[in-house]
Amino acid sequence: MKELTPPKWPLLFLRFFLKPDYLEEIEGDLEEIYADLLEEVDQRRANLIYSWEVIRLLRPNLIRHFNFNHRLNNYDMAKHHFLLILRSFMRYKSTFVINLLGLTIGLSCAFLALLWVSDELNKDRFHAQDDQLYQVMQNNKDSKGIETIPNTPCMLAETLVEEHPEVIKAVPVLPPNYFFDPGVLLHEDKTIRVAEQYVGKDFFEVFSFKVLDGDAENVLQTKEEIMLSDDLAYKLFGTTEGLIGKSLEWSHEFYPGNYVITGIFEKPGSNSSMQFDLLFNFDLFFESIDYLKSWGNNEPSTYVVLEKGVDPAVYNEKLAKFLQTKIEDIENTFTAHPYSRQYLYGNYENGQEAGGRITYVRLFSIITLISLLIAAINFINLSTAQASRRMKEIGVKKVIGAGRRTLVWQYLGEALLLATFSFVLAVGITGFLLPAFNELVGKQLTFLNQFWFWGSTLGITFLTGLIAGLYPALYLSRFTPGHILKGVPNRIEGKGVARHFLVAFQFVVSILLIVSALVVYKQTQLIQSKNLGYDRANIVYFNVDEEVVEKGEALVEELKKHPNITNVTSFSHDLMGNHGGTSFMHWEGREQGEKVNFGNLEVGYDFIETLDIQIKEGRSYSKAFPTDKQSIIFNEAAIEAMGIEDPVGKKVSLWRKDREIIGVAKNFHFENLYNEIKPCFLIVYEGLNKIMIKMSPDNQQKTIAFIEDTYQAFGPQAPFEYRFLDEDYQNMYVAEQQMKVLSLSFCIIAILISCLGLFGLMAFAVERRQKEMSIRKILGAAPLSIMYLLSLDTLKVVLIAVLLAVPLSYWINNNWLNNFAYRIDLQWWFFLGAGLLTIVIAWITIGFQSLKVAMVNPAETLKRE
Amino acid sequence: MKKTKIGEFEELVLMAVIVLQEEAYGVEIKRELETRLNTRLSVGSIQSALKRMEDKSYLTSELGEATPKRGGKRKRIYAATQEGERVLQEMKAIREGLWASFPRPLINLRTI
Repeated sequence: MKELTPPKWPLLFLRFFLKPDYLEEIEGDLEEIYADLLEEVDQRRANLIYSWEVIRLLRPNLIRHFNFNHRLNNYDMAKHHFLLILRSFMRYKSTFVINLLGLTIGLSCAFLALLWVSDELNKDRFHAQDDQLYQVMQNNKDSKGIETIPNTPCMLAETLVEEHPEVIKAVPVLPPNYFFDPGVLLHEDKTIRVAEQYVGKDFFEVFSFKVLDGDAENVLQTKEEIMLSDDLAYKLFGTTEGLIGKSLEWSHEFYPGNYVITGIFEKPGSNSSMQFDLLFNFDLFFESIDYLKSWGNNEPSTYVVLEKGVDPAVYNEKLAKFLQTKIEDIENTFTAHPYSRQYLYGNYENGQEAGGRITYVRLFSIITLISLLIAAINFINLSTAQASRRMKEIGVKKVIGAGRRTLVWQYLGEALLLATFSFVLAVGITGFLLPAFNELVGKQLTFLNQFWFWGSTLGITFLTGLIAGLYPALYLSRFTPGHILKGVPNRIEGKGVARHFLVAFQFVVSILLIVSALVVYKQTQLIQSKNLGYDRANIVYFNVDEEVVEKGEALVEELKKHPNITNVTSFSHDLMGNHGGTSFMHWEGREQGEKVNFGNLEVGYDFIETLDIQIKEGRSYSKAFPTDKQSIIFNEAAIEAMGIEDPVGKKVSLWRKDREIIGVAKNFHFENLYNEIKPCFLIVYEGLNKIMIKMSPDNQQKTIAFIEDTYQAFGPQAPFEYRFLDEDYQNMYVAEQQMKVLSLSFCIIAILISCLGLFGLMAFAVERRQKEMSIRKILGAAPLSIMYLLSLDTLKVVLIAVLLAVPLSYWINNNWLNNFAYRIDLQWWFFLGAGLLTIVIAWITIGFQSLKVAMVNPAETLKRE
Repeated sequence: MKKTKIGEFEELVLMAVIVLQEEAYGVEIKRELETRLNTRLSVGSIQSALKRMEDKSYLTSELGEATPKRGGKRKRIYAATQEGERVLQEMKAIREGLWASFPRPLINLRTI
């Protein structure tokens, strides 16, 4: 039988704290009690009682007398170390400043990045039921693969609550950009254009947005009710109180009328990806059109709250079969994705999650870590390089009797103290830069009252100090005093292989960063200057008020009269990805079950001409042919997808109506550049609600003033607000733009820190060889050969680094570029340029230092001994 | 009076030591008091009291036998010193004096 002994850890603890004299007696007593206990209770309980007894032995008159004399000594040593560290800082000022600067810059970047990253990671996590909150996405299968879209049938939310017991609550949401054109709220003489969101009744029970006024459970019960954000309420009324029951007029293309305010909610903060100022009842939309009641129609996003403890994977299996119970013959499926995950992992490829903003979060974290690492490496290199300066100190200390541990603590303390100084400076810099940083990234970050921020930044600082200090501490404390004091330099300094390795590493990273910065810059430039297949320069557009829409054609004709206006057209979608779509298209030669999703652009006459879209075959729409309203124009991609040859003149059937193909347009981008150009068609209408104007580049302000006057003459209610098409386009790539600026600045900083290190290293090397160089000079060496000698070592390392970095950066950047449908090719000069730039920077640093030696009068350096 | 410094719990432990005679070691004292007081006591409280009274020299102790149950560790047998016994007597006298000065018998002590 296995003998049962008391648990080990409490016993060890007991032995640690108890007075040694008492140990035998009390340990014996406890063991006896333990043996007795085992007869009454099981071992687990006995162990528990035993441990508790041990803890209760912690009494002042029983615990060991810890040696206070010893502690006093430690305190003195610490004070001594501290003094020495400060002195060494004062003595080697340049080293100190370089290290401090490097660490401070590194830490400041890290702190800013930390704030940004944590903000990104916490987006949408504030909802009380966050872990139960899911968004239902639809997987749309066609011949090209699976496309994942947020749009779902209108009845989905309601039906899921009824039919699936796992679903506690569900709510449909029609986002503010659904109707591309916002409506206008009117109150007395104030008019505000605002984008509205349509939500189900349980909206405030599913999401934790704050209702400031009104009963959260009983808002938006009828189609006549609306809710305003406090911000909007303030703009309209100048107050946020006592507004419930007031009536407002809403001018809108589809649902104009008078509505009653039933509640005021707090405008969603920056931690929410869902932004809205005005809420309508979803039924208003749902009951307005009959076809919305079909399961084949997909409009709103659907959000569900699942029962606690429901495994989403299991539920998704059930949900995947749901649509088949409603309509036959459909392959589409639903999947519930955690709502708060959508923000960072919002991209889908073939039905699977495929990253999203998380790429930026990762990219950022990595760059930050690299800059910290580079700063730490600087410290390591400089400390080990300067070992010889401190040899005597170490030797004497060891002779007097300092142990290795004492020395390790001293040097580690040096790194940690330096890190602490940097921390203070970095916090200051962070605070100073934060407003500008916020502006850049479009966030409202703060840190002063954030407890986690102080905790984690202190942690980061400590860790960096530790990483920087550990190797030098172990290295410096290793020397044997005999060697040091006798002065056997080779043994002491070694060959500095580790140092060369670290310098090489720094340069590999620097080159990698330079190449990446170049690639990011070029790629974003490509996107911004990409030939889109249409000309977006000098085009303005504006929304036409409802009352004016009927007279739209007259307005167009009126506008065309101005000499500076080249062309005018109307349209209802845009070219940023908002467009209709359908697969209800039939053509000759279509195979059974073949499905192609077409983009649907509703355009006015002259749309193609205004945007300068090229026609490949056939002709554009023209008023000269009255039948054009029943015709259709495809893009090349569509013709290719359908496989029609000689398309012009052939007929297709769209929505069960025959249309003649009158032309084929060359491919142009009507969506995000991440996507390839999809099949689409253009159909002509009259009197669409947006007017687009191509102007000549001169006197644009005057032209716009003319447009406004002309428009006002038609007597619209809402104010005239125009936009430039290329601004829209740039807004679409705001995230990319921000990332471009950020990653570029962080790369530059990393490179800067790494040069700083090289500078310090060279300055020291040069200083040490000053006498040698002076003697060489006396013997007739030219300044250039001296520079050559001094820089040879380091340049070799840099060269090796260049060779290593080129394939590495090729591989990484190539992988990144593969994310884009339209990408630049990696050019050989990126690598050559980065390599040369690094070598030049290194050479300038080295050259500057060596020149100092080469030019100095040898007598100056040699007279001192 | 000021010489007698003994706490109530210490007094109980001291009396238990006298009662137990040769058997007066940690675990036995604990057991004895637990039965008499009808409560659980911790080793820490007993040991702390013992050590305090040893410091005040109310108790002496010597190492005794070792048993296998104790993992081969010896017991420490306690015995009261004369000083200790004197303190106990003093305490008793004080108590009795006080009892005698009570103006009337305590009600809840009457067994009717």
